[in-house]
Amino acid sequence: MRLNNVVVVAKREYLQRAKTKAFWIATLILPLFVAGISIVPALLLSKTKSSQRIVVVDETGRVGNSLVARMNAHESEKPREEDEKSGSRRNRNQAGNVTFQAETEPLAADRKAQRADLDRRVMDKSLDAWVWIGPGVFTDTPVEYHARSVSNVFTQEALRDELSSVVRQERFREAGIDPARVDELSRSVHLAPRRVSATGSRAEGSLGAAALAMVLFFMLYVAILMWGQQVMQGVLEEKGSRVIEVVISCVTPFELMLGKLVGICLLGLTQLAIWLGTMLVVTAPGLAASLAVLPKGVVLPTLSPVMLINFVLLFILGFLAYATLYAGIGASFNNLQEAQQAASIAMVFVIIPVTVMYPVINDPNSTMATVLSLIPMFTPLLMPLRIAVDMPPAWQLALAYALTIGFVLGMIWICARIYRVGILMYGKKPTFAEIWKWTRYA
Amino acid sequence: MTPILELRNVRKAYGDFVAVDSVSMAVPAGSIFGLLGPNGAGKTSSIRMIMNITAPDSGEVQVFGHPRTSEDLRRIGYLPEERGLYRKMTVLDQLVFLGEIRGLRGPQLAADINHWLERVQLADWSKRKIEELSKGMQQKVQLIGTVLHKPDLLILDEPFSGLDPLNQELFRDLLLDYRSQGKSVVLSTHGMELAERMCDHICLISHGRAVLDGELRSIKRQVGGNAFRLVADGDLGRLETMPEVEHAVIQDGVAKLMLRPEAEGAAVLRQIVQFLNVHEFRSEEPELEQIFLKAVRDAA
Repeated sequence: MRLNNVVVVAKREYLQRAKTKAFWIATLILPLFVAGISIVPALLLSKTKSSQRIVVVDETGRVGNSLVARMNAHESEKPREEDEKSGSRRNRNQAGNVTFQAETEPLAADRKAQRADLDRRVMDKSLDAWVWIGPGVFTDTPVEYHARSVSNVFTQEALRDELSSVVRQERFREAGIDPARVDELSRSVHLAPRRVSATGSRAEGSLGAAALAMVLFFMLYVAILMWGQQVMQGVLEEKGSRVIEVVISCVTPFELMLGKLVGICLLGLTQLAIWLGTMLVVTAPGLAASLAVLPKGVVLPTLSPVMLINFVLLFILGFLAYATLYAGIGASFNNLQEAQQAASIAMVFVIIPVTVMYPVINDPNSTMATVLSLIPMFTPLLMPLRIAVDMPPAWQLALAYALTIGFVLGMIWICARIYRVGILMYGKKPTFAEIWKWTRYA
Repeated sequence: MTPILELRNVRKAYGDFVAVDSVSMAVPAGSIFGLLGPNGAGKTSSIRMIMNITAPDSGEVQVFGHPRTSEDLRRIGYLPEERGLYRKMTVLDQLVFLGEIRGLRGPQLAADINHWLERVQLADWSKRKIEELSKGMQQKVQLIGTVLHKPDLLILDEPFSGLDPLNQELFRDLLLDYRSQGKSVVLSTHGMELAERMCDHICLISHGRAVLDGELRSIKRQVGGNAFRLVADGDLGRLETMPEVEHAVIQDGVAKLMLRPEAEGAAVLRQIVQFLNVHEFRSEEPELEQIFLKAVRDAA
């Protein structure tokens, strides 16, 4: 084998594909999507951050002052208990972005004129909204909220929360109960998830680990499928255009196949590096916190070096397993239509891990998860899931690697033989029995 | 002198169909060798075996004086019948790749490519993708790819098909140039006129068998004794019915006659003057086309 030939072929495969728009679109669409669902809402939220100028008119005289005091003192720091008690499971931080500049206004003799005056001030924008607290506030009468726009849900939610706690405290006082005591007694209980692993327990958000597992899983899924198919299409193109007849006089079929696998694998790694890089930036603790898009209490799991190494190794193995198969399929048939049927069989091996993804995340050490993740065609997709959620025992990892490497070598051996014969075969579509026979040729 | 390429009793069958039946031929070094034959005669099948794309069922292929190895293939430039280029690659990238898989590198390769592109008038197209080029241009790109590594032997399968006369002339000059450097060219074609103008040696294949093989001049001498050119008025069609005439090509009052080996020109002329007004009757070298037609018919 001439290494130089492998390098030349790999270089062509890499550069020609890296030069296409399609590659960059496919590569950038995922980060853009992630950015889209994380950064854009945060940006939108930050626009409502400008403090709201609000006038409160209180008919009862018991709510207005404490409400305004609370609203003006309001920063994102608010007692958590308040939230739990009200039964609101809403995202505190989102509403927490709203700040107020509130003031009370005494009830005027002419209520109608006062309302008209407030409306005018809202209209000429010297005021954002005004609130009219009627005597029925302690029962069930809603509090009036007047503003130019009433679709600002976060502002309204924040206002409602403040109002509720002030009114609630008033009710307690009326009933002779000390509000402070109520707060103390009705505190919620929190769960503190701890991950148990070989390196000892440490605090980590379980939701975050599952999210990370899923993100990694889909990255691998997309990359393996996409680049595997690329190998098949490349082989079919060479065969269809008969470039192969020229190339094969200088490069052996094995060198050609290997060069193709190496080149496209490197391109896949380039893409993953871009994806992972984006992920690291987006989930960097500082940025994530400042964007404030994650529910409080979810600690973003960091992509540890161990996970990263496993992820890259498993991508390479997974790519080789599938791409070799696709290379063999591509070489066996004359065009994409013919190859599609066989290619869909290869797809099955990718679909199965998808169907068991949730059970595996939920219980990464179940018998099913353990067994499936040790099957070579599934290992590259299922092992990263297990590693992200809960590091499997070392012996399982070692066994999985050994089996997968053995399997990949076997695949390369078989597919190289199919490739060598098939690549120069034209004419009728071969049967699977015929293709199998090719592997027996000396 | 050892032939640069030799086939010895090469046979290839696809199922029941025998594409190449015990073909032997020898290509002398420094010659342009024409592999001639009608469509489906087995020209491309023979070439594919020479290039190790398919393996012969039996027989042997010798290159550069020894059984062919994969190393030898790198000293051969091969232009397949169906043009093969990567459609999405630019002309330049494509040629660099074709050079690199033959071990060429660096500034010398770039300079060679530029030189060739200039020569075939494609320098302005070097950054364009192959799929944007016309068929003739693609063919020129591929020819450059074939000669870039200065192979000792060129094997071209139907190199002239699809080329306009100007480009045919360009190709022809390139090949003659190549021969003048002491290198050898094998070209397959069914265009007899071109083959006649270029080839030193020919091998005629029909139905998978080599029916004629040798130096073009001696073949002509050998066959040519009984070829005549006749200019006459009257019903020239009657010539074809004469038992002494093996083959006649009649056009515009001119007949090219190929007589049977035993027939005598003078005797035949005496018969002809009885029904035609003969202006001219003389012996001449047969055209390759006549030899071709005769050989194919004899073989059938």
